[in-house]
Amino acid sequence: MADSPDLDLTRRDAIKAGVAATVGVSLTLRDAVAAQQAATTPAARTFFTPDELALVDELSELIIPADEHSPGARAARVAAYIDSQLAEAWDEQDRTNWREGLRRLDELSRQTSGAAFLRSSPEQRVGVLTRVAANEKSPTLPDDLFFVELKSRVVRAYYTSEIGIRQEMEYKGNSYLTEFVGTDVS
Amino acid sequence: MNLLKRLQLDAQPEVDLRRTYDAVVIGSGAAGGMAAHVLTSRGMKVLMLEAGKKLDINKELKSMEWPYDHPRRGDMPPGHHALTLNEYTIRQPPYATDSKYPNVHSYVQGWNGPDYSKHIVVNEKDHPFTGTSYAWVRARVLGGKTNIWGRLALRLSDYDFKAKSHDGYGEDWPISYSDIEPYYDRVDRYLGISGVKENLPYLPDSLFQRPTRLASAEVTLRQSLKKMNRVLTPYRAGVTTDGLKHNKYRSRCFGRGACNRRVGGCDIHAAFDSPTGLIYPAMDTGHLTLRTNAIAREILVDRKTGKASGVSFIDSDSGRSYEVTARVVVLAASTLESARLMLLSKSSAHPNGIANSSNHVGHNFCEHVMGPGVTGLVKDRVGKPKTIDDGRPGGFYVPRFRNLSEKHPNFIRAYGFEGSAGSQMFPGTAHDTPGFGAGYKKTVRDFAGAYISMGGFGEVLSRYENQVEIDPVKTDKWGIPVARFNYKFGDNEKKMCEDMANTAQEMFEAAGFEIVNVDRKVLMEGWSIHELGTARMGSDPKTSVLNQFQQSHDVSNFFVVDGSSHVSASCQNPTWTIMALAWRSCEYLADEFAKGNL
Repeated sequence: MADSPDLDLTRRDAIKAGVAATVGVSLTLRDAVAAQQAATTPAARTFFTPDELALVDELSELIIPADEHSPGARAARVAAYIDSQLAEAWDEQDRTNWREGLRRLDELSRQTSGAAFLRSSPEQRVGVLTRVAANEKSPTLPDDLFFVELKSRVVRAYYTSEIGIRQEMEYKGNSYLTEFVGTDVS
Repeated sequence: MNLLKRLQLDAQPEVDLRRTYDAVVIGSGAAGGMAAHVLTSRGMKVLMLEAGKKLDINKELKSMEWPYDHPRRGDMPPGHHALTLNEYTIRQPPYATDSKYPNVHSYVQGWNGPDYSKHIVVNEKDHPFTGTSYAWVRARVLGGKTNIWGRLALRLSDYDFKAKSHDGYGEDWPISYSDIEPYYDRVDRYLGISGVKENLPYLPDSLFQRPTRLASAEVTLRQSLKKMNRVLTPYRAGVTTDGLKHNKYRSRCFGRGACNRRVGGCDIHAAFDSPTGLIYPAMDTGHLTLRTNAIAREILVDRKTGKASGVSFIDSDSGRSYEVTARVVVLAASTLESARLMLLSKSSAHPNGIANSSNHVGHNFCEHVMGPGVTGLVKDRVGKPKTIDDGRPGGFYVPRFRNLSEKHPNFIRAYGFEGSAGSQMFPGTAHDTPGFGAGYKKTVRDFAGAYISMGGFGEVLSRYENQVEIDPVKTDKWGIPVARFNYKFGDNEKKMCEDMANTAQEMFEAAGFEIVNVDRKVLMEGWSIHELGTARMGSDPKTSVLNQFQQSHDVSNFFVVDGSSHVSASCQNPTWTIMALAWRSCEYLADEFAKGNL
């Protein structure tokens, strides 16, 4: 399919089109500087302690685990992405909420199984998560609210990762198409 | 000279302000771009003033960048904040004044991929306004909102132009469909539009290029609606799907889909935007001079004749003031900014503001109301292989069906629906799917692509009391008095929205979709980004600002060619009509100019 002459033609057209689209659009120096600034990556800062990072890594994999279809949140490095987001978050409250939320989750684990989350058994971990996930639709307690925040960040990070998009969702778009897909009604 | 200074000079070449231009055009969006195209093609020497900067839009948009190749997955850097619906409704304008974020943007920046358009929309901190709540989305940049528009390109019909004759409310437009039809045709041919002919008297066909295709659930809905005597047609997109031989700046559409995944914009310019569609070709004629970072402050008036003589403007970077003279002034700054500038342009000849002897400038402000809609589950799509449904510029459009031959007991005028079905890059339901673990993951996977949804756009009636005026105290970053809003939806909109939610549900049920959610909430004023009508056309100078050629009744060499001229909002999206009207008016302007009548 990728070698069909049709698609090759399309690709060439696309390249030509790309060239045409830039003719006459002068790249001024200021634009270049602005583009360079925009491309600057976030500072390689981290926020989580090693223990917190390990905890978030395990929680993310519990929420979106590897299965026979595709790798899970751990392979997609979801915890590291959340860490980089929190490290540069504008609002200090975001970091406070996460540190406090993770602490409370460990505390809840100690109360229910007598051990910190990562030291408890796989069944006990699922038990703790099931408990805080119970009021997902209308969370009011701090533990419930933290689960919603945790899951929201994990979901966003996983389904925007290469594994999430290409392997889990098998997304084939964001490519040059010869024809639109679907049913022609004209 | 330090480096930064030199860079700034390179970016903004000085334009010759000592000469008198044939016309100065204020604004570079759909209307201003069209004015520049038509006037320069007639040989007139035109200066275009744009308040914002000229961005290298290709570098901004990066249409093909994967989320995971972006350091923040498309999100804005820290310190940038998009206003939420909640903030708009619990606070009063100006919304950004007390924000802890240095950069505050309108709500459109809250959608996916906001990092790609953060330089296109304004920082609300620099551009405050006051009065009633309004989600005012502004793009100060070359091309204005055409850089991020939704691309739904629809015609109006005599059901709109002659709406008063139909139901007795408001005013008829001073033109009929037959007056504007040739100019719709020209816009279609010059800019390109995709769609399917349906032969509907209330939604006239365009001269369409290759249409997009429908996802399977959309075909189901189309067939079901046919039995109800309603229509679902593929999205009529202001996108060239076959290419344009006469325009070297634009490629045909390759169904890459970033237009649907992000706020908008197209780095190969298959989707219409004013710079590549209109302004760059106009510059190639040699007749167009462009001055960006030029915030129009006042339309200048000749004391003796009362005619427009030029424009004073402020350089947005340096804060310095400039004046330029022109034989004709064409205003196209967007509906609300145009009204603001007219009201700011007070002189002894025009004490209420230029072209405002009627006291109608700023009034009859109207737009589209939205919010109600429906989401359905298409059961036979669950667990099916994924299709590429987000490669299209849009999904489908359901044209109006209310108040055509029958009269609805509760409200006048009408609404249409925009919608889509199928798979997208990001599974939208992942956030709402309950639970966690393997079961959660499989549910998201199986159900992604099995949903269909649509939302309504309804006509907001034009009312004299809905207006913008000048705030007597508050000024913007450049010391210019800001707009003060006095604008609210009325009872007709509320009743129309109730019907919108009901019919949306009824149509999905009839098609056999399982109803997942019916949205009944009306979104706040401004949400549609379709503000219109603050300087309406008409044949009576006492109740209108402009004549049928968007020419001021009071000042013969002053034209207002943007959405402010619209007499009523209709329920169809306005961009194509803005451009067809501007084309018609600027042909008239050039004729009159050639005859020495202006």
